[in-house]
Amino acid sequence: MLLSVRVGMLRGAVHKLRTRLLSTKGGVTDGLADAETIFALSSGHGRCGVAVVRVSGPASAAALRGMAGITRGLPPPRTALLHSIRDPQSKEVLDRGLVLWFPAPNSFTGEDSVEFHIHGGPAVITSVLQALGSVPGMRPAEAGEFTRRAFQAGKLGLTEVEGLGDLIHAETEAQRRQALRQMSGELGRLYQDWSHRLKRCLAHVEAFIDFSEDELIEDGVLNQVDRSVCDLQAEIKRHLMDERRGERLRSGVQVVIAGATNAGKSSLLNTLCQRPAAIVSPIAGTTRDVVETALDIGGFPVLLSDTAGVRDSTDLVEREGVRRARERMQQADLTLVVVDCAQLPCDAQRAADFLQEHLRSVLATEEQPDTVFSADKCLLVLNKTDLLPEDGRLTLERELRRVPGLPPICLVSCHTSEGLQGFLTELHGRVKTLCGNPLTGDPTLTQARHRAHLQQCTAALAQYHRYRDGDLALAAEGLRLALTSLGRITGRVGAEEILDIIFKDFCIGK
Amino acid sequence: MLTKRLHRLQGFLLLVSRRASNVAKQQYDVIVVGGGHAGTEAAAAAARVGAETLLVTQKIHTIGALSCNPSLGGVGKGQLVKELDALDGLCGRAGDWAGIHFSILNRRKGPAVWGPRAQLDRQRYREFIQSELLGTHRLTVLEGSVEELLVTEPNPEKPGCHRVTGIRLAGGSRSISASSVVLTTGTFLSGSLFVGQTTSPGGRIGDAPSSAGLSHTLREALGLRTGRLRTGTPPRIVKDSVDFSQAELHPPDERPSPFSFLNTHTRCKPEEQLPCHLTLTTPGVERVVRESLHLNCHIQQDTKGPRYCPSIESRVLRFPGRKHQVWLEPEGVTSDLLYPQGLSMTMPPDAQLRLIREIPALHRAEIHTPGYGVQYDFVCPTQLDPSLQVKNTQGLFLAGQINGTTGYEEAAAQGLWAGVSAARSALAMPPVTLSRTESYIGVLIDDLISRGVTEPYRMFTSRAEFRTALRPDNADLRLTLKGFEELGCVSSQRYYETVRVRDSLRDALEALQSIVLSAANWRKKMPDILMSENKFTSLSGQDVLQYNTVSFEMLASAFPDTLSPYMEFSQRLKIEAVYRPHCDLQRKEIERIQKEENMALPQDIDYFSLPVSLSQEVREILDRVRPSTLGAATRLQGITPAAIVHLLNYVRHTGQKETRTHSKYDKNREELHTENASLVKL
Repeated sequence: MLLSVRVGMLRGAVHKLRTRLLSTKGGVTDGLADAETIFALSSGHGRCGVAVVRVSGPASAAALRGMAGITRGLPPPRTALLHSIRDPQSKEVLDRGLVLWFPAPNSFTGEDSVEFHIHGGPAVITSVLQALGSVPGMRPAEAGEFTRRAFQAGKLGLTEVEGLGDLIHAETEAQRRQALRQMSGELGRLYQDWSHRLKRCLAHVEAFIDFSEDELIEDGVLNQVDRSVCDLQAEIKRHLMDERRGERLRSGVQVVIAGATNAGKSSLLNTLCQRPAAIVSPIAGTTRDVVETALDIGGFPVLLSDTAGVRDSTDLVEREGVRRARERMQQADLTLVVVDCAQLPCDAQRAADFLQEHLRSVLATEEQPDTVFSADKCLLVLNKTDLLPEDGRLTLERELRRVPGLPPICLVSCHTSEGLQGFLTELHGRVKTLCGNPLTGDPTLTQARHRAHLQQCTAALAQYHRYRDGDLALAAEGLRLALTSLGRITGRVGAEEILDIIFKDFCIGK
Repeated sequence: MLTKRLHRLQGFLLLVSRRASNVAKQQYDVIVVGGGHAGTEAAAAAARVGAETLLVTQKIHTIGALSCNPSLGGVGKGQLVKELDALDGLCGRAGDWAGIHFSILNRRKGPAVWGPRAQLDRQRYREFIQSELLGTHRLTVLEGSVEELLVTEPNPEKPGCHRVTGIRLAGGSRSISASSVVLTTGTFLSGSLFVGQTTSPGGRIGDAPSSAGLSHTLREALGLRTGRLRTGTPPRIVKDSVDFSQAELHPPDERPSPFSFLNTHTRCKPEEQLPCHLTLTTPGVERVVRESLHLNCHIQQDTKGPRYCPSIESRVLRFPGRKHQVWLEPEGVTSDLLYPQGLSMTMPPDAQLRLIREIPALHRAEIHTPGYGVQYDFVCPTQLDPSLQVKNTQGLFLAGQINGTTGYEEAAAQGLWAGVSAARSALAMPPVTLSRTESYIGVLIDDLISRGVTEPYRMFTSRAEFRTALRPDNADLRLTLKGFEELGCVSSQRYYETVRVRDSLRDALEALQSIVLSAANWRKKMPDILMSENKFTSLSGQDVLQYNTVSFEMLASAFPDTLSPYMEFSQRLKIEAVYRPHCDLQRKEIERIQKEENMALPQDIDYFSLPVSLSQEVREILDRVRPSTLGAATRLQGITPAAIVHLLNYVRHTGQKETRTHSKYDKNREELHTENASLVKL
């Protein structure tokens, strides 16, 4: 059920791509008339049934003939044909798979393109890529180069490019759905609507500035604008307060496992990802640093972190681990507080008091020692239920559920997997709420960039109110700035800037 | 400065009586055709730049005539006047000389959109312009009618490209040659006048129609696309017949603010100013319009008229049942006439009289001259380059209403720019540009040449993206320095004055910044101001000057030693302090636009075969307009951001190729230099 990727590795790879792109940026801009043909593995890395290798550029036809051993002509366009895939030099058969021929301009990039659908083993993929590299005029693609060529050929708009970047990165079903939605422009339509209304406001203010002296333009015009601007501010603010749902869907819900030492946090992590990602031992303080794992929970991406157990320690390394654990909890969307239920007092009321106190001590930070934990940001996991007698467990569960002010409680045993299904259902529900259902409601903010521009937009709208009575020129300037900020999202800006955004966002995906 | 102007006039009037053939030479650097607002600024600017210039006009005594409204400036237009003055143009100083009612419009809406405006004395305005032209070195004025524009046959290497060689005058075969010709023929290009059902050829009542030859050359020989526009003017009213008791009095500003940066006061003393009056239309006006509609040719014809400053007929037809403003403006100190702004009309004269008498203050008014309409040809300005030169005809410049604009200020701005460009082209000086990021004149020119016009183009402040930086108060800092250093159209006297102003403002702002106190101490020092800041926040004098309630005078009295030397700039400093933070924010955007404006699009591009992905529609727009820069392409209607990215790629790509060849060339040259150097050593 769960595909897990070491997130650290992924980050490293993204970082590498970023650096590579930066270093080649000078050459990136004149990609349009590039005579070079590029190729790359287009399906994801790692084990998979079928791998897709894509080729784009003028030498695509030659590559197709060489690799598929076609001597005359070319296969019919956009038709999958089964062929032996050979090394063009040695003629050695590398694999047997599908080849597809997309002549220009009817391809993703607008150039001649070929796709090879081959078996997904690393050895096969490597040999096919090596064989392609040996064809003259071919080189491996830079990060984002296919998309960039597609954009340059006029095949994609700006929001589409961003949506596509997400689609390529869509590790899970829900992410894919949201990416598709963005590509179809629902978000764009929302921003267009705001932009349209803002344009009207600006136009009215401009009319008041340019014409009110010689025409009869009533002061009421400005009052109307005041109201519209207030409405817009409220709507954009509401949109901004979507609790980062869209961003979560793109980069994963941050779930942190926290608790006292030896409560079984690492065991919970290992149980969830069904492999020993973290070392577990009966010795308290085994986990000293944050261990991260990417999970798919019911179609939603989750970034699960195991942290060091919270306790006062003299060990410098462990203290640093605790500091990091607290830092992580602060950033978390959801904290799973793991408690060893053998430590709980027998009496239910005292157990509840204990848990309250425990939550406070685990979730407290140095800056805010009296933090009141919010119940919807954490989940209590009472571990080691196998150590309790059967009836004791049921009573405890029943009694604790009655106590007001406690977060939802799950009783599990990582050892016997007892209660795990109920816990997963609860977790899935929480993650789903955090991401929002990507198919309903407001299109959520999927890009941190959008958020930044919308924030600028609301700030600029505030400038309107600030200068409304003193200096109408500066008030109008506020509306213009707001409009420009919106325009930066919908792509209605100067050419330089569009390119800058694209090249920045191209660091992701291939 | 103002007082010594007019004694040159006597000599000038002598010139008027002379005939053309006796005065003019056979050869000039620049010939300007037309003596209106565009023509006079063009001729004066060309001469200032250093070109031997000839101004040809039908009647010398109508040079500088205000054909329509007796006023100058306003919102947006006032900015143009300030900029023209900063470039040493005529109209600002002429306005200060001839103004009889000064006011700053939009006073309550912020200094960036203030509209300096004045009612003018027609006689004084004309006198000033005529005497100014007479006093301009290298400028000759010639009375005559231009029969034909002389151009070369198309260049065989560049099909369809011509070069202008001069003009041929009417009434004889005499021709005068020139490297540059500036056409400022206003509404005279195939102009027709309309009153009621009568139509007669002409561009202005009382003037002969211009020759058909000129229109022919432009359209047939040069193949320029033209369009047709219409405008109109109201009847002039006999002042004594007006019942002012029924109109609302609008006095001028108590202290007139001069247009020109060189003037500290206007010729007209504050107390000598004349008032304006405001009155409103009645339902009777609408009735007369409807009753006379069948007798009104002009209004029935389907030619594009202005949406602003429309005729009273189109106003009441478009907005029935409403009251419309009518301003009663003085025509001059000694004039017996009034100009009813807002009553431009083309119905038969008897209907005009019936109409005005439906207005309360005009119930027994007499008409001196009836209103009339004009329909005229304009040359689609997208066929011009940024110097206002016709793209396919080297040396031919167009300015004013011929480019589809309306208004004195718009005409004058183009005239000045065309004059500077024509002179520089004739004298083989490097071309210069004026960006829309630095001036309203730049906005005007860029809008015209890259977007074209569909109705008469008038300047508004909202056309300028960087309005907060392009203020009337700082036009000198923006343009005078450049005008002297780069354009060559500014006198050294004005230049050094602006340098002094710039330096003083800089020193004053530094002085303001050097005063830094905590909010608590500011409160002690100036108890009257309300400060919301935390008492420990430290604030500079410049920060405090941004407060609504704080004036520079208040600060100067609190810190007399530091600030009192700058009292003459108190208003400018206050404006600077408020606007500077906003302008700083805009700088990045301005730089981006300037970068795009520096990316030239080749004029001979074949947009239909360009190997980039552009829709057919976009290709057609680009092919039709042929934007000269990427920046201009960005502002075209119907051009998508994606199309701009493709163009940018194209420009960069071809640009890079060029740089590559350049650097190769440079390398060769370097090698050559090294070789030479080693040769010298040997």
